[in-house]
Amino acid sequence: MNRKEILKSSFRILKRNKMRTFFMALGIIIGIASLSLTFTIGKGFQRQMAERVKKFLGSNDLLISAVKLKMEGNKSSDLVSTFTIDDLKAIVSEVPGISMFDPHQILPNQEIVAGNQNISTTIKGSSAIGQIVWNRGVIKGEFFNESEELNASRVVVIGPRIAETLFGSSNPVGAQIRIGNIPFTVKGVFEPKGVDPHGNDLDLDVFVPITTLMKRMMNVDYIVMAKVVVADENHMDEVVSGITAVLKERHHISGNEPNDFIVVDPIFVREKIKEMTRVFNVLLPLISLIALLAAGIVIIVLMFMSVNERTSEIGLRKAVGARSKDVLFQFLIEVSITSLLGGVIGMIIGLACFKAFGVIMHLPFVIPWQIFVFGLLLPIVVGIAAGITPARKAAKYDPVVALR
Amino acid sequence: MIQLKNVSKTYSNNGQKPVYAVKNANLVIKKGEFVAIIGPSGSGKSSMMNILGMLDRPSTGEYFFENREVNTLSEDELASIRNKKIGFVFQKFHLLPKTTALENVELPLLYSDRNNIRSLAMAALSQVNLTDRATHRANELSGGQQQRVAIARALVNEPDIIFADEPTGNLDYESGQEIIRIFQALNNAGKTIVLITHDQTVASFAKRTIQIHDGVVSENSYEKLVSHE
Repeated sequence: MNRKEILKSSFRILKRNKMRTFFMALGIIIGIASLSLTFTIGKGFQRQMAERVKKFLGSNDLLISAVKLKMEGNKSSDLVSTFTIDDLKAIVSEVPGISMFDPHQILPNQEIVAGNQNISTTIKGSSAIGQIVWNRGVIKGEFFNESEELNASRVVVIGPRIAETLFGSSNPVGAQIRIGNIPFTVKGVFEPKGVDPHGNDLDLDVFVPITTLMKRMMNVDYIVMAKVVVADENHMDEVVSGITAVLKERHHISGNEPNDFIVVDPIFVREKIKEMTRVFNVLLPLISLIALLAAGIVIIVLMFMSVNERTSEIGLRKAVGARSKDVLFQFLIEVSITSLLGGVIGMIIGLACFKAFGVIMHLPFVIPWQIFVFGLLLPIVVGIAAGITPARKAAKYDPVVALR
Repeated sequence: MIQLKNVSKTYSNNGQKPVYAVKNANLVIKKGEFVAIIGPSGSGKSSMMNILGMLDRPSTGEYFFENREVNTLSEDELASIRNKKIGFVFQKFHLLPKTTALENVELPLLYSDRNNIRSLAMAALSQVNLTDRATHRANELSGGQQQRVAIARALVNEPDIIFADEPTGNLDYESGQEIIRIFQALNNAGKTIVLITHDQTVASFAKRTIQIHDGVVSENSYEKLVSHE
């Protein structure tokens, strides 16, 4: 058998029966297009979130968050006021491998006024090394220092969008602003940073020394969060269990009681992101697979019609020397080419839709490798699985009967 | 080349008494012969051709093709013999529609191991004087031209024997004559031709005539038939 020539002739047959070929491929086109689209969107979201996470949680970083999970398996949680700076100091002295840490407190919805301009935002408190720990560059002026932290000074570092709103193009460093009723001096302006994983604009950040925030503005002795930088990321697990042990002991939490804190490491975040994008990465692609199932059924029906229509052709091929397996091969090749074609078209349509969707949703345009498996391999599998029965029927034709 | 020994072909319908399409046929066809198998419709001549052409197997009896007993050969071996040793020409031409003359002629080569199938197909088309119609689709050709394409297809793999089943049956007189002349020329060039027909005039062009009636084969030369009338 001359496979190359049979392949060429299969192409010609498909080209001459454009309508049949189109309808055979249509289901595959739709199925693969929706599969590619949903999958790339899922991956896009995942990547977008990962990029945002990276901005505030590097691979060496841990977050200790003062929240209490209500119940095992329950997703909702309560903020608690049990986490203190003393806890943090205890952690650093008892758990080896921590190179830096920064306590964090927030005060939401504060009005900031400069002259006749005002803007409402969240005030964040951190230590003097907060700039390094949170990886925040300062483009104008500087971050507050240790003595300002110790003295609970009324100094503030503002995000570039705050600076623009309050001061326009003039330099805000040294200027006076009011947060609530308290006057502050602007020490510096952050460099632009974009959006965090929760969708908060970091360029609207306002940082004050944590002491100032806790004592002067909030009058509290607890913090909501701390960021801990681990010296060696390979020892992340030990540090996480060390922190957990220290906090449990200090908060008198016994073995099976729920913790009043969560230690968030990059792996935890990655798992959370996967969980959140599961609907795109698993559920919607599964629905697309149902579309492919329908495509398979269409292929079976059209193939049977085609085999019946081409009875005398099959008889002739057998008369001039085609063996049963040659006929089988021919029909499987035809259905494979059709399905592959459908897969490629579907993949292109899916990626084009993703591109358009990505522009609207600000998703990065990245093509995951799985798309090529979906677009090139899956259609052939569906095509052959659907086509094998009609192709077998064709292969079994008795030439005498077929030629009658 | 071909020998039938007591070959019968029966068909049975739902346990009814079997019907003989071919009954105890004994026949020898030698290389280079031009044989006509003649009989009225329903006489079993198509069943005979299907057996001779290895499209079908005898129910009983032995069929030797080049000294090989056909009943002992597998389906694939039969397909291979049909491909390499046999050419078929049918009453209804059986060309692939929407397909060019050249591609139709190439068809048997798809199942052979030969190369340069395009030039071989062109050579076969030139044997039937149709090179100028090579790129025409089958449905754009006249009946006579279609049958010439079918003959080119039968010739393309250089078979030893050609079976033609009512090759002029769907053609006008002129085209029919042309087809017969091609068969004569092929026979003169050494090809064995077996022509199945119901038409005495067509049969008269063969060098030897075999009659078939109700599945029973009897042999008379054309001269004998004429002298009987």
